[in-house]
Amino acid sequence: MKNNRLVSTREMTLVGLFVAVTAALAQVSIPVFFSPVPITGQTFAVMLAGAILGSRLGALSMAVYVLLGAFGAPIFAQAKAGFGVLVGPTGGYLFGFILGAYLLGKVVEAAKGEASYLRVVVGMILCTLVVYILGVSQLAFVLKFSLAKALTVGAIPYLPMDALKLVLAAGVAVGVRRSLQAAGFLAPVKA
Amino acid sequence: MPFCERSKGVGGLFNDLTLGQYYPAPSPLHRLDARTKLVGTIVFMVGLFTVKNTAGYIFVTLFTLALLVLSRVPFRLVLKSLRPLKFILIFTLIINLFMTSGEVVLTTLGPLRITEEGLARAVMMTLRIAFLVMGTSLLTLTTTPINLTDGMERLMAPGRRWGIPAHELAMMMGIALRFIPTLAEETQRIMYAQMARGADFESGGLLHRARAMVPLLVPLFVSAFRRAEELATAMEARCYRGGDQRTRMREMAYTRLDVAGGAIMVFYLLISIGSRWMG
Repeated sequence: MKNNRLVSTREMTLVGLFVAVTAALAQVSIPVFFSPVPITGQTFAVMLAGAILGSRLGALSMAVYVLLGAFGAPIFAQAKAGFGVLVGPTGGYLFGFILGAYLLGKVVEAAKGEASYLRVVVGMILCTLVVYILGVSQLAFVLKFSLAKALTVGAIPYLPMDALKLVLAAGVAVGVRRSLQAAGFLAPVKA
Repeated sequence: MPFCERSKGVGGLFNDLTLGQYYPAPSPLHRLDARTKLVGTIVFMVGLFTVKNTAGYIFVTLFTLALLVLSRVPFRLVLKSLRPLKFILIFTLIINLFMTSGEVVLTTLGPLRITEEGLARAVMMTLRIAFLVMGTSLLTLTTTPINLTDGMERLMAPGRRWGIPAHELAMMMGIALRFIPTLAEETQRIMYAQMARGADFESGGLLHRARAMVPLLVPLFVSAFRRAEELATAMEARCYRGGDQRTRMREMAYTRLDVAGGAIMVFYLLISIGSRWMG
């Protein structure tokens, strides 16, 4: 059988299930009074997608998540959905998820052998930065805010919480990778 | 009813997932092909960002209202799509109202001045965001996620040559739709199981609550992998081999209605561009 498939069946089911996990985690969301951007479990799922699935599948799963939400499935934070969210003020964060998961995956894949905890943390810091760069840019563009104002509303208040999320996400990612390899689902990464 | 208030729990949130925000009604907008509506929505957004003066804004306001009436979707449902944005809308209105420098001062409130330019800018920026969200939410109110997924697959099918996996994307979205309720339920179940063992998600500081989540997350991800593996095996056992030569349950076809819809969107775009040169 000639193989011209771009994504294998196994990869498709994996990405589909990861989108479902992201949707479930995104509903863990704490609204804050000072800003339109809530603290969510979404970014947590993004970091895990990149760190566990790697660059290609991680980015793919985030792209599918964003598309599905855009098509009206209530899977974004606070059960939001629709194209309006993508082009609205907070849409940039969603685009940032795709690029962020991709870069994080690249960092993890660049390791010789299994990625160390430190490498995962560095990759996640990069991922978080990318999410904020895209998120804050769109926030500033859509609301016609200055960069300083957009940063105050859309990034700075979240940084302490993000540092916490990041440390936990790195712990979970390393733990999940280890048990997946033990169960034979995930081949050890080779450089 | 797909549009009733959803319960707050993670499990109950996804009861009407496959319907998404869809509101069934006998309207021409509902009967349009999903592909026409997808492209039409993009054209609508482009037009919205093209107009810049009063004439242009009056035109897009009338156009959006006409779409709303035509869709037969109750107005309160469309307004509901604005509710998560109410903070942003008020914020935009106030910021633009007071922070825009201008020549003609209309009124002063203590140290704050409202200028004519500020008022115009505040109204226009707020309307733009409101219409953007209302117009685009019409797409998902009049089309089911499954139909949109099919429509996207067909629209992007020619992109295969450049490595865009249209069929695979649609299939992955279908798998996700199927498994979101399952995994949401599982999250809930693992949460209960951990609570029964003494984990505390409800009280304590943020740090404490976040830490309590970790034993919840590792099994959640591992179980997602296990399910994916089982599903892939099941699909391959049934000879699934991608989108080539696959027959479909629902065929899509353009009708005269789609031609008319397309023509209307072309005129909409031309008028939006033309309005830039009008007083």
